[in-house]
Amino acid sequence: MATTTQLRIQARPAHTIGTTRLAYTPDGTRLVTVGPNDFARVFRTESDGEPTTVDGLPEDNLAVNATNEYFVLGSEDGTVSKYPFDTMSFDKFLVRSTLPIRDLAISPDGGWCAVASDELVVKIVNTSDINEVMYLRDLPKPVKHLSFDPSGNYIALSCTDGNIYVYSLLEDTPELMRKIGDLIRTVESNSEITSKVAWHPDGRAFAVATATRDIQVMSRGDWENQRTFKDGHNGDVTALDWSPNGAMLATAGKDRQVLLWESNTQKIIAKYDYANVIDIAWHPIKNIISFTTSDGEVFIYPDFVPADNTFLVKMSIQPAPFIHDPLSELSKNIRRPATINQKEVPYRGGRQGTPDSVGVLLGDVMDDDEDDFVVDDDGAGYALGLNVNGKRPNGDIDPFDGPLSKRHNALSWEPTYHESFQPGATPWRGNRKYLCLNLIGFVWSVDQDSHHTVTVEFYDHEFHRDFHFTDTFLYDKACLNENGTLFSSSINGDKPASIFYRPHETWTARADWRTELPKGEDVTAISLSDSFVTVTTTANYVRIYTLFGIPYKVYRQKSSPTVTCASWRDYVLTMGNGPVGADGSTKLLYTIHNIKRDEVCQSEDVVALPDDVILKSVFFSDNGDPCIYDSTGTLLTLLHWRTPAQAIWVPLLDTKLLSRLASGRKTETYFPVAVADNKFHCIILKGGDQYPYFPRPLLSEFGFEIPISAVPKKVSEEDDAFTEEEENELKKLEGDYVLKSLLTAQQEDLIEATKSSHAQRTALQRMEVEIDKTLIQMIAVECREGEERGMRALEMVCLLRDRTGRMVEAAGKVAERYGRTVLGEKIREVGEQRLMNVDEED
Amino acid sequence: MALPLQPGLTPTEVAFLCEMETVTVVPRQRLESLPLISGPTPALRPPHRSPLPLWLALLLKRQRRANILPPPWLHPQSLDKILKYETETSPEGFSPPPPHPYLLTTRPASTDTISPPFLPSSTAGAPAGYLPYHWLELGEILLEACPDDLPDPNRIRTQLRDLREVRMAKIRHRTKDLEGGGITSLRGVGAMEVSEGRGFIVGVMDGIRKLGSNREVARREREEYEGGEGGISDEGEEMEYE
Repeated sequence: MATTTQLRIQARPAHTIGTTRLAYTPDGTRLVTVGPNDFARVFRTESDGEPTTVDGLPEDNLAVNATNEYFVLGSEDGTVSKYPFDTMSFDKFLVRSTLPIRDLAISPDGGWCAVASDELVVKIVNTSDINEVMYLRDLPKPVKHLSFDPSGNYIALSCTDGNIYVYSLLEDTPELMRKIGDLIRTVESNSEITSKVAWHPDGRAFAVATATRDIQVMSRGDWENQRTFKDGHNGDVTALDWSPNGAMLATAGKDRQVLLWESNTQKIIAKYDYANVIDIAWHPIKNIISFTTSDGEVFIYPDFVPADNTFLVKMSIQPAPFIHDPLSELSKNIRRPATINQKEVPYRGGRQGTPDSVGVLLGDVMDDDEDDFVVDDDGAGYALGLNVNGKRPNGDIDPFDGPLSKRHNALSWEPTYHESFQPGATPWRGNRKYLCLNLIGFVWSVDQDSHHTVTVEFYDHEFHRDFHFTDTFLYDKACLNENGTLFSSSINGDKPASIFYRPHETWTARADWRTELPKGEDVTAISLSDSFVTVTTTANYVRIYTLFGIPYKVYRQKSSPTVTCASWRDYVLTMGNGPVGADGSTKLLYTIHNIKRDEVCQSEDVVALPDDVILKSVFFSDNGDPCIYDSTGTLLTLLHWRTPAQAIWVPLLDTKLLSRLASGRKTETYFPVAVADNKFHCIILKGGDQYPYFPRPLLSEFGFEIPISAVPKKVSEEDDAFTEEEENELKKLEGDYVLKSLLTAQQEDLIEATKSSHAQRTALQRMEVEIDKTLIQMIAVECREGEERGMRALEMVCLLRDRTGRMVEAAGKVAERYGRTVLGEKIREVGEQRLMNVDEED
Repeated sequence: MALPLQPGLTPTEVAFLCEMETVTVVPRQRLESLPLISGPTPALRPPHRSPLPLWLALLLKRQRRANILPPPWLHPQSLDKILKYETETSPEGFSPPPPHPYLLTTRPASTDTISPPFLPSSTAGAPAGYLPYHWLELGEILLEACPDDLPDPNRIRTQLRDLREVRMAKIRHRTKDLEGGGITSLRGVGAMEVSEGRGFIVGVMDGIRKLGSNREVARREREEYEGGEGGISDEGEEMEYE
């Protein structure tokens, strides 16, 4: 801390004693201050001359904001007026209010000006057409502060009732998105204490001062508390502002201090002693900070950031201080091998030794060998990872846009990779994350800063006892089955990635084991079956261990980078990115390998996904059939996968066509958990959630419905209801027929491949009879419909599986019962033909 | 000596019958299939949902071996909808019972005659927005036995009370139509409501009948007194009764 060497900046007496506010223009050339007296001062950056004075203002101006062309001020008499810089004189009133104006905010594009007054309504005025006004009504108490997020799509109101209201401005009428309680304190609108929402420049989070005098960061997407700037002020916070790139935060408090924090570490960089500071503004580009006091003084502080930290000013936009940055987690999964970029630009090695360069500070990152792409494992929370020179690639485009937009960068085209994921896991939200969710139980972890606490809970409370432990290895992936729990941790600093297996029951003292991966190799996915532990790694190895930790097999995966893996008994399914398809993204390839018999069932076969659709989860059903769930909400299973090159993906359920969504009013998505008992088990997610969160929601189950035809219409209560009903019944039976045939085919495969039990074989026979029964029911419907449907009925007879002729006989009886004699005769003919030559050609 | 019981079922008997209703449970531990008189129960495997008779579900719930999934109609939103129907959409009639779960077609089927409590009208798959036959008893039982499994039990409690009051008022109001032996539809009326209303309705009917018989006797007497000339006026009086 550089308190001792600071020079004391002289105050510039601008106004008389009272509330004084200031604002920089977005280009940073001018600084506007207003105060209790009837003029505004316009300072020019880096000129010590007298400021321009704009006269003729109302008295007691309480708010000011500026664009490059004009500034807007709000005063106690309830007027908001606009003053262009070129004339430096009054232009027009934007809004009038009956009560004092408390805060002003101009949207980032300069199109709208939001006005908070002591009235119970916030007006958002179009700055070019003052007749166009949006109102945010129904506020319980006046609003003290308001602020637009950097995209201008949201506005946060700090209300004097102690809540923050976030409105979405994406629609024509603003819509309340979220009410946040228990964050800011209840302060009167004329108080010096701030409850302002300061949006981080990356737009994903904001900071507010809490009642405990800390600065709390909250993320916008999930409204979870993130990092906290703690133990800084001993008095109430009166002002706060992020540096333009979000790398630092400046706060002022009633303890007569101005503090400068580093966002990434939440540590105080510098302390300055200035009393009664009530407003702080960073210069948009330069290392200058300006603040005003309640004594009417203005301080313009050049070189505010101490010399050894000035590199922070020059950085591009930094990510907000998340506990677990969703972007960094994502990017960690994107493995970007040596790309076209490196071929085009001659490689000169990392630049070393520049004083104050990022490289000095991020030494770890720079230590990487030259032949390797810098792996984003420094844990510094960078969204993209730095290149060899410590620069963020394409940092000036929007670094926080999703990876997709980056790829459309014209300079270097890169194929879209499917990111790796762990099936059944959720990303960090706040400080919690589900490591594994399945039908056995669930594993979740809470980040306690220095360590995690992992809890394993079972659905069957009698079967296993729940347990939890303190986790110093920072596990981030887990698998759970009847036998044990498997954990894996990523590379953390010098610690290599490790795998930890803990059986639920042992008859010796200790059966859990831990193994470490070679240095530099990270885990991409793990899976656990009844007999093997499978780990896929960033080095494209598939590592297979037995349940007691004996390395059983290591091989390199043919398709890379690896995406995920799943296993069931001796079968291991691995997925990787294959060659690039026509849509510019890689095709996912899967391989199914029987480890014990060392047979490859399917080798590098394509995972059938439409364009721009990603895989959400992959798992084996309880019968041992691979299932995938994709981002279109379709559940597919793999048929005939035990025979090489015979596998096909068959849809089992399209969740978009579920009858519960038929009304069109509900919008919900589903988080896949498992397929068991011919049902799809999932968690219903409402309100645009992507992943389940705490408290753990109930599991829901849906029967399979193969998407065959349009959703049957509701039976209307009219005369033709019966024909419609028959149609629906027929549709339902057709669906049943296809589904039962599919399940029977799976059962046949299972019986062929394994030492089948008697029960399994009888189950298969029963299933075949069920198919025939469905067909007979369909024939009955056709017969009821009329004589003209006879051909269709006869075709159904040909589809009957039964070879003994009993079913054909039954079909004949059905036809006779409805008096279709011609059809009955034809059915009899088919039956006779069938008995004559049992071995028909295909 | 006659049995001192009222005709019909007592509320406790109705509640007992209600325990045959099927509900959906999420077991917390394994249980093999039990051979019961009503048929074998499904084998319980957590966390797979299974349908169980209410009495067994309550037993398991009490022993903390299972959680009961509340039927969709017991959700506050569904109850709100029903209450709105009862008070605004149709302030005279009762909200309709749930549609028959088995397809009713032109040809008779064995499933057509199944009635509560053997219909799955209170399982997790039942439709929301319809009060089943045993709604009042089931709601009260679930509120008492597993408030922790219900979303917002206090609200559900007040909603059930509101519904009950609205519908009881309707039943009492309906007795006006019964004057003179009219017929009223009991579609949508629950078992407990029938049982509760029975005493009142039967009493009122009986009273009306007695009053009517007095008038009848008086009329006969008058007829006898007036002799054979009352033929036309008789008809006029009969018209009044309809």
